[in-house]
Amino acid sequence: MNKQVQNWQGHSIEAQGLCKSFMSGEVTIKVLDGVSIGIAAGELTLISGPSGCGKSTLLSLLSALQKPDAGRVLILGQDITALGQKDLQRFRLEHTGFIFQGFNLFGALTALEQVQLPLGYLGLSDKQARERAMQALEEVDMLHRVASRPAQLSGGEKQRVAMARALAKRPQFLFADEPTSALDGENGHNIVDILHRVAREHGTTVLCVSHDPRLIGSADRVLAMEDGLIGREWRPEKSAHGESNAVK
Amino acid sequence: MISLARQSLIHEWRKFLPAVMAVGFSGLLLLVQAALVLGIFGSAAVYVTRSSADVWVGYPGTQSVNFGRSIGGDVAMRLHLDPGIAAVEPYVWVEGDWRGRDDTQGAASVFVSGINTSPGAMMFSQVLPDDLRLRLREPGAVIVDRADLEQLNAGVGGEAWINGRLVHVIGVVDGLRGLGGVNVLASLDSARMLDTSNASPGSATYFVAKLRDPAEIESVRVRIKPESAFGPFEVWSADEFASRSQRYWLFDTGAGVAVLFMAVIVFVVGAVITSQSLLALVVASAREYATLNALGVSFTSLARVLVEQSLWVGAIGLVISALFGAALLWLAGHQGVPADMNPVVAIACAVLVMGLAFVSGLVATRGLWRADPAMLLR
Repeated sequence: MNKQVQNWQGHSIEAQGLCKSFMSGEVTIKVLDGVSIGIAAGELTLISGPSGCGKSTLLSLLSALQKPDAGRVLILGQDITALGQKDLQRFRLEHTGFIFQGFNLFGALTALEQVQLPLGYLGLSDKQARERAMQALEEVDMLHRVASRPAQLSGGEKQRVAMARALAKRPQFLFADEPTSALDGENGHNIVDILHRVAREHGTTVLCVSHDPRLIGSADRVLAMEDGLIGREWRPEKSAHGESNAVK
Repeated sequence: MISLARQSLIHEWRKFLPAVMAVGFSGLLLLVQAALVLGIFGSAAVYVTRSSADVWVGYPGTQSVNFGRSIGGDVAMRLHLDPGIAAVEPYVWVEGDWRGRDDTQGAASVFVSGINTSPGAMMFSQVLPDDLRLRLREPGAVIVDRADLEQLNAGVGGEAWINGRLVHVIGVVDGLRGLGGVNVLASLDSARMLDTSNASPGSATYFVAKLRDPAEIESVRVRIKPESAFGPFEVWSADEFASRSQRYWLFDTGAGVAVLFMAVIVFVVGAVITSQSLLALVVASAREYATLNALGVSFTSLARVLVEQSLWVGAIGLVISALFGAALLWLAGHQGVPADMNPVVAIACAVLVMGLAFVSGLVATRGLWRADPAMLLR
């Protein structure tokens, strides 16, 4: 179980004045224009918005994959924008998990091996890594497919293996980019349920980027982005049978 | 720890086939080239390596067996006088032109070796059985290598002319092929008959000797110092004279540089093809590597995976080239093609092949630049 880390107003991630631009030919495109935001642990936060609004860029900055042109990101009280490449990799290894839209599994590895692989780099013994990998696969209900390779798995199963790979590290932060967009209704729901459970049971900070309405409805908190800024934010109200209504 | 490199090779071996083949073929080329060099240049010393003499005595400064000049018969006397020497034989080298009986094919350049015909004699003891050696006593009798018959336009029992004198082929042997000319065995008398240079009686191109104790070579050499009374001569051990002859052909003729140049080209071409195949694999899996990096696996660790992979590719390629190389060497041996191999050269080839794979792996790590995890979010 991870301890909850909150460093500012209950936020485990805090971003201040984030700016990011990209060059497209000779034109500089400003993707983020001074975004400040806090993300809390123990809940599923969703960043939503039309394509090109900068939500994926914001995720990459908050998750220590990229550095902002200006502003800073504080995670666990540490300014990660000040870290070098090596320290950033170390930070990600110890604290973060990722789930991407494409499952990005190695064709040669079984489900168990996919999950075990990153654990070896954490310094776990083979036995420990195997145990943890099995636990993570159990958590995503994939114990029956541990010996299967990606070619033998359905899209939903692949995404669950990818989730197990991210969860097995027992990260304090879990980042997901459009995790349900390639999946059908039932599989999509399964993934959302797992994300929720991870946030609730492990106190993990779960930050998700998506425009999938299923996900928007079941998030604890939604941040709507427009033109490089957070336009609105709200907490969907859960009904008794799990459906939600937005409270604006 | 899960070995991504090994698992990928086992379960996706088809993807690695081009790289393995590139390494395998490079290895095979290096190996065959080395075997031919050893075989061809080794044959420059066939006179020494196929004989059982421990000591060779010849004209001072002789670079290679075929450059021998006549030394006086007194040198043999001097050798006989040494207590460490068990037996002494003259060896006469005569260069000649071989013309077939019908004389329609032009002349072939031949090296006639005039040798002792007593049973158990040292010269060519490894290729010439005693019964055949005895038959060389017939005047004008010669023996050639089986593989040279065609070039000489001759057959066993046939006749030909060497330097205008009639000779007849009484038999063939294997393992006599030389460099620069066809080797012909004859008796000392026959060889002297074919010699047009009017060498003084009793002289020879070399005197070869057997030692009572082959380990005593250095003390014998110290004792048999050239003295003016016996005319000019120099003493070599058999090994020394053999490698001296091979070195001359390999390095002083420029052939060695050509061989080295070819080896470098094989290495570079092999490394370029192998690294490109490996690079293509890395780029194809860039998203997977990027995901691992997003999860915190450092680029250094990923590069290590690629290098491990390339070393496995190298090892498999090496096994393939060794198997094919051995088969080719066996075939060459059966076809009379001069090819040879020794452990030192085989190990050198193996090291080069693994080096090639290692360098290719390092080059392929360039593909990791494409594995930027931020790209996964675009």
